[in-house]
Amino acid sequence: MAILMAPGGTLEMAKMVLDEGAEATYVGVKGWSRRGARDELDDNDIHEIIDYAGERHREVRIVLNTLPSSTEIPLFLEHIERYSNWGAKGFMISDIGLMRLARQHLPDIDIHTSVGFGITNYEDVKFLKEMGATYVVLPYRLSVEEIARISEEIGSGIEVFLFKTPSGGKICPGKCMMSSYFSFKRSVDAQGKDHFYGSASRGGDCLRVCQTKWDFSDETAILDEGITIKENPALWLHELPAYLDAGVDCLKVPGRDRSTELVRELIRLYRRVVDTIKEQDNPDLQRFDEPLVALRERWRTERGRRDKRLLGEALLGSGQAAIAS
Amino acid sequence: MFELSTGVCNPKMLNEGDYSAYDALYLGDYSCPLYPENFSAHIDVLSKAVETVHNWGKKSFVRLYAVPSNHELLWMEEFIEEVFKLPVDGIEVHNMGLLRMLKNMGNQIPVHLGVFGNLYTHETARILKEYGVERVYPNPELSLKEIVFIKEQTPIDVLVPVHGKMPLVISETCFILEHDASSEGKCNYACTEEHWLHRSEGDWSLKDTGRMTVSGKDLCMIEYMQQMVDQGLQHFHVQNLGEPADYAGTVGAIYRRELDRITAGLQPESMEEMLQALSAHAKMGLCNGYYFESAGQHYIGRG
Repeated sequence: MAILMAPGGTLEMAKMVLDEGAEATYVGVKGWSRRGARDELDDNDIHEIIDYAGERHREVRIVLNTLPSSTEIPLFLEHIERYSNWGAKGFMISDIGLMRLARQHLPDIDIHTSVGFGITNYEDVKFLKEMGATYVVLPYRLSVEEIARISEEIGSGIEVFLFKTPSGGKICPGKCMMSSYFSFKRSVDAQGKDHFYGSASRGGDCLRVCQTKWDFSDETAILDEGITIKENPALWLHELPAYLDAGVDCLKVPGRDRSTELVRELIRLYRRVVDTIKEQDNPDLQRFDEPLVALRERWRTERGRRDKRLLGEALLGSGQAAIAS
Repeated sequence: MFELSTGVCNPKMLNEGDYSAYDALYLGDYSCPLYPENFSAHIDVLSKAVETVHNWGKKSFVRLYAVPSNHELLWMEEFIEEVFKLPVDGIEVHNMGLLRMLKNMGNQIPVHLGVFGNLYTHETARILKEYGVERVYPNPELSLKEIVFIKEQTPIDVLVPVHGKMPLVISETCFILEHDASSEGKCNYACTEEHWLHRSEGDWSLKDTGRMTVSGKDLCMIEYMQQMVDQGLQHFHVQNLGEPADYAGTVGAIYRRELDRITAGLQPESMEEMLQALSAHAKMGLCNGYYFESAGQHYIGRG
């Protein structure tokens, strides 16, 4: 049966989700994951959460899913070796060069390919398996049928987010550089680690430039006004039994950048949902509709606040007035 | 010594453009198989184009659709089988699944990694070499230093975009269809005309080609050609997708003149005239992309 994996945007959140019933938590390493530093953990916290999870027979997955500079590779290897020595088993990685190096250096670890790889078909998944991936994280856009087809082709090792967007659309994460086009800055820290502010792929925050208001026009007229370029994914529920039937091994709850309170409610709800599906042949999930609607609303509010902050930073960074609309 | 290349999507572009400045042409629009008579999806028109390009004494590389879904792999496999029969000089791939398919199909044609292949490290380039990749188009977010590092550390060619709009995001569906009410959801090839996204309260701009969003500003590296050549880079590319018919010819001629000057070892010319001519074709202005570790939209300039 699939496991529930939950976000650990802070040490407190990581411990809380394990206490609330998630079988695993995923935590980003400062500078090495697709989130800004405020939603990542330093090495002391990572050591502590690995011990905490181990004592409870739970898992911690370490997220190092940036697309780094070539010169950062020795640092990457130092990091994964250190965490592996502390007892971490799973590592989430995007770059295929790093994936294979990690497999060569530490043959016994689990490698989870990040959603940042931007999978679009089952041949992609086979390629990643050849690169040494143990699990592949599928994008939000795939339908149940597409996931079933992938599962049929590769057998096991499929992870999905409890998040979905309408089928199709911009391939994000994985194939988008809009944020860094408008605002981007590179710096190097005392350890020699590159930091790329404005690029989610490279370890900074995505500055959410797609979420400001845009006017869309052709050569003669405005066709659509005040639109966003990309739709936001939403938390889902009723498709869950079908996804599990399709062969999904891990359900990943998003939210490293959300409040601990909201993530707590989400884990409690999804824990009950998954247990209900486990216990019943034809589970009735309707009773979870109402609480999920409320959680979606809270999610939307927190996301809006975060988008406004990041967009403001992007505008300032590109020399425009910080009016984040 | 150097190779200057550009992209050509279909027979109309091939017939209307002036490609005399170029050594090689990338045939096809990798972002949308539905683009009219797209070389990336129509073997008959591709076949004729390859012949034409070879008759011009230039190399031809075929671009494959960048983001195929499960259901598109079948037609793509059939298309690739037919491509194998053509005397093409290379196949450009953006998708790792297709790269794997090519290898398993016994491909003998050199493979080029396209811009959406997400190449960031030399370790990835080394792996791609094992799959038949001879040339890589680094992700636009890489700096010039990072590109040179990859070139120096791997036995692989690097294609360096020097001019044109930078691909920023690709889509599985058409943004124009989704936002132009007059289309009523049916493709009427509106992407053959220009579409723009402008921030409602500010001066941010992007261009949209339907299934791809590109930079509003044109990448321009004419001032830095000597520097790039001195660092060992040899393969240069002009992005031409969605541009007017005279774009490739005008831009190509300017870059060819600069490359010829470098080859002949002549003193640098004043950049003023060249920059003015290039600016005239860049509605939203020029930029240097990410080459100097700044936001993609900025133009640094030598001052």
